[in-house]
Amino acid sequence: MTIRIPLLGSTAVLVVAGCAASQAPKELVDARAAYARASAGESAQLSPAALHDARVALDAAETSFSNDGDSTTTRDEAYVAARKAQLAEVLAATEIAKRDQEVAKNQADAARKQNAEATRGQLAQAKEQLATAEQNLQQADRDLVKEREARAAAEKKAREALDRLSVANALAVKDEPRGTVITVPSGVLFASGKADLLPGARARLEPVAEALSHEQDHKILIEGHTDSQGSDASNLELSQLRAQTVRDFFAAHGVPADHMTANGLGEARPVADNATAEGRANNRRVEIVIQPIEKR
Amino acid sequence: MAQFKRVWLLWPVLGVGACASAPPPVERMASAEAAVRAAREVGSDRVPSAELQVKLAEEEIQKARALSNDGDNREAETMLLRASADAELAVALAREDQQKVAAQRALDQANELRSSPDRAPQEDVK
Repeated sequence: MTIRIPLLGSTAVLVVAGCAASQAPKELVDARAAYARASAGESAQLSPAALHDARVALDAAETSFSNDGDSTTTRDEAYVAARKAQLAEVLAATEIAKRDQEVAKNQADAARKQNAEATRGQLAQAKEQLATAEQNLQQADRDLVKEREARAAAEKKAREALDRLSVANALAVKDEPRGTVITVPSGVLFASGKADLLPGARARLEPVAEALSHEQDHKILIEGHTDSQGSDASNLELSQLRAQTVRDFFAAHGVPADHMTANGLGEARPVADNATAEGRANNRRVEIVIQPIEKR
Repeated sequence: MAQFKRVWLLWPVLGVGACASAPPPVERMASAEAAVRAAREVGSDRVPSAELQVKLAEEEIQKARALSNDGDNREAETMLLRASADAELAVALAREDQQKVAAQRALDQANELRSSPDRAPQEDVK
């Protein structure tokens, strides 16, 4: 009897050990963990059907384990349950990637649209600039035509003024290669050997100044000339002073000073014979040369 | 005593009856093989994790075939459940990878469009 009691005790131990031996197989442990992970993640929202399949498979494995313990069927079913839980996770991750792609596509579309709008804007701006440039060009053409007409009118007026000068004031006006030359005899302007204007000179020079004032587009060269009497140096100086006096007179009577140049040439360029009194009178002169300013 | 004898005689009959109740899992085999083919078709060989699942599925199909040859049709059938589950996971893994690649490409394209407006890439045809 004393022996049987420990035997009964060992039987109880064996029964307990038997239960302990029937602990969940690795496949079932893995399946439970896989399901727990999947259900804690995005699968509940993004792949609920697959997660449900995993739950059903896990329940089947658990039932199998309850009924049969660690059987082949339990392990296989648990294995399948674990794979289904993984499948649910993978499907959720795929859905997330799909949504990311959609977002990126929308962003790309928006960027494309924005770029297209920017390009359209640039195009419109360029067209506008082109239109403005064309308008400016047309305006410039019109301005050019007007300017030509104005210049032609001014030239006509200047020519008429010169013609009047020639006719009314009995001054020699000649067209030469270097320009239009108005010759004023020194005798009517200056006393012998002097560079101050005679009282009567103003009446002779004023119509010339009036005609020159129309010559806006010309430069005016005022040259003093003498006869060959006296020294070269004194003639040069006298002619320079006389030219200067005439230039100052014109400047005071509305001819732009910056268009005029005064130059004394002395006896260097006679137009007549210095041996005769008449020739010398012709050589003593002031020439006003109207030269066109070179076209821009 | 005669009753005991009858029971003993019944054992082999029951055993044979058990084997006869589980026919070869022809349909499950076909289904598992189809799942493996499907996994290959979606390009599982280009995705290491998917390729692993396909290999497992193929091994399980081989094991199921051996079990069935040995008459263990019930075990063969549950082994084929493993094979199908592995192959289906392989399909999903391959598709996940493709989807992630496509998403990354779309993101790169969007970034490129936003950073360099002058050079607009052609829209990716997917």
